[in-house]
Amino acid sequence: MRTVIMLSALCATVAAAEPRPARDTADVGDRNAWSFGIFNPLRYAFHDRFELQVSPLFFFVAPHIDARFAILKETKGGNRYPFGVRLTAEAGLLYPTLAMRLAKGFLFPAWETSQNDVGHMLVPRVGLVVSGDFFKYDVLTFRIDALLRIPMGPNSATPLNSFLAPLDILFAAPLTGFLGRLGGAYDHAFGDHLRLRGEVNVYLTGTQGNLHVDGRSVGAIAEISPWIATAHLGRTTTAARPRCGPATTASASASASAATTSSPPSTSSGQASNQARPTARNSMASPRCG
Amino acid sequence: MRSTLFIFLVLSGCEWAWDDQNFTREEVPRYRAHAEHPAPADNPVRLKVMTWNVKYGACRVDFWFDFWGDRTQLAQPEVEKCLHGMAGLIREYNPDVFMAEEIEVGSKRSAYIDMVRFFLENTDLRYAMYGETWDASYVPSEGVGRIDLGNAIFSRYPIVKAERIKQDDRTDQDGITRAFYIHRAISRAEIDLGDRRVAAFAVHTEAYDFDGTKQKQIKQIHDVLQEEALPWVAGGDWNELPPVCDESAEPGSPDSCEGRLRLSEFLDERASAKGTAYEQPPYTPSVLKPYYDDFTPSIPLARYGEGDDAQRPYFTHSVLGPDSVNDEGVAGWWNRTLDYLFIRRGESWTDADVLQEPGRLGITSDAPRLSDHAAVVGTWELP
Repeated sequence: MRTVIMLSALCATVAAAEPRPARDTADVGDRNAWSFGIFNPLRYAFHDRFELQVSPLFFFVAPHIDARFAILKETKGGNRYPFGVRLTAEAGLLYPTLAMRLAKGFLFPAWETSQNDVGHMLVPRVGLVVSGDFFKYDVLTFRIDALLRIPMGPNSATPLNSFLAPLDILFAAPLTGFLGRLGGAYDHAFGDHLRLRGEVNVYLTGTQGNLHVDGRSVGAIAEISPWIATAHLGRTTTAARPRCGPATTASASASASAATTSSPPSTSSGQASNQARPTARNSMASPRCG
Repeated sequence: MRSTLFIFLVLSGCEWAWDDQNFTREEVPRYRAHAEHPAPADNPVRLKVMTWNVKYGACRVDFWFDFWGDRTQLAQPEVEKCLHGMAGLIREYNPDVFMAEEIEVGSKRSAYIDMVRFFLENTDLRYAMYGETWDASYVPSEGVGRIDLGNAIFSRYPIVKAERIKQDDRTDQDGITRAFYIHRAISRAEIDLGDRRVAAFAVHTEAYDFDGTKQKQIKQIHDVLQEEALPWVAGGDWNELPPVCDESAEPGSPDSCEGRLRLSEFLDERASAKGTAYEQPPYTPSVLKPYYDDFTPSIPLARYGEGDDAQRPYFTHSVLGPDSVNDEGVAGWWNRTLDYLFIRRGESWTDADVLQEPGRLGITSDAPRLSDHAAVVGTWELP
């Protein structure tokens, strides 16, 4: 078991009237709703059941986009499902090669005497997220998703096998060819300014594969367990809570995670934050922003 | 910025990112073969001794710091094939005591194979100790990753005590590099021969420093050997040339190295290594003179001779293997001596040699393709 403590500061352009909405849930914003954060993705809802998101911090080195489709969603004046259940399908596409090449010499060899390199590849992602409400503002979320690598040429980069769980998970799909996740999270509101979130995930990576040198395989890389289990505890606090408007709302979050081999994070496409995303219940009381 | 980010990531893990080897002298674990091996002679009067830098089971794969290739990792079959080849040579010579350098027990680059266990189970050596010198959970350079490297001493006779003795670290590196870098240590094993006990030492000194660390380490080893109470044998990779001459002597003077010992421009040095962290520092063979004055080397200077032609049979190292050529098209071959065996002054060696190629002492193994170092062997006539 290893423990990972992650601290991050988050900013959002909107605020909720009620307790801050839970993050990383199945909620999809209503049409024209948007949110933006430094570490959280930029999201924009083109339709009441469809939104796109990208992570600005990584977009220019690891271009990607994620689409989210609300399959079950409470609509204005519509029925509310038991426990406020909402179900969202996600699909994304990532091109990680540029970011990985920036890490040559550190995480990857510089390959200064050969033509070996991090190969071009695309990493599509599909997933399902289901969330339900408990008590007044608590949210239980389950997530299942999978990432696959589509190679687009020779690739000499091999799995990191680091002791840093976030790195291993982050690079699992590009380097092992697959990453699947099954996870659950419970998000509890303590008043208007503080939320506490507990999360557990089980990841399955691809195999270590073969070592490729100068375009040919020289044999299998030593196998390690493809399973990674993580536990994560985090909080979100709000420093100031103006109503809708420019980026004047600031929040901070801190979290602690434990993992058997690693700890949470996600590929660039998987990190979703519902900082400005009201829960289905909250959405009825929150102003629309953006 | 990268350093700050890395420190943050490192601090986020509960596993130590590296072991700074903070000890002076400490006992280390001993191991025993699971397989049944033939028992050696009781109360021996001589011991066959071998020292070999086994290059982490990479054989002749060129790694990035050698500048002839850029590999940072081996596939599992590559390591297994190499280790089987090395075990074959060890079985052929069949030493009673074997000192191994650059041996790994759980490194990413060598497919996490426990080489101490491998040699225990695949040779007639029945006991071992492992003196770790480099333990980092993740070396953030060139994707090296997890490293667990050290020296090992194997024996057909029981090892009754094993310890490692800390050596000076380099002072010419920044703090982060130094933390993740190798920390040299002397490995020492006490071996019970039945009617007596002897000590064996395995050493491997610094290769790339420009601050005199290697010279300090060599002197420390000399001092440790001088203070040893038991009969002892020391073997390893000193990363230094034999003291045929004085490197500081003026050309033309009696002690000059000119024409007597090559100090630079070895055929396997690549120009692109100049100015890098892996540039070959100038050799200082005079630092080994006290060893030849105070101890008995397996290959004395009189046998070693002067000049490349005379010395070639005793060269122990070549970065470039026989299947590769340098920038001038010359194939690699042993071109300098860095590995030695020593015993106390007044004691004697017989059948000492360097296992450079098939035919030496009757071996058939393809020694030049098994490591970038040749094994140094000899029979120690016990006092």
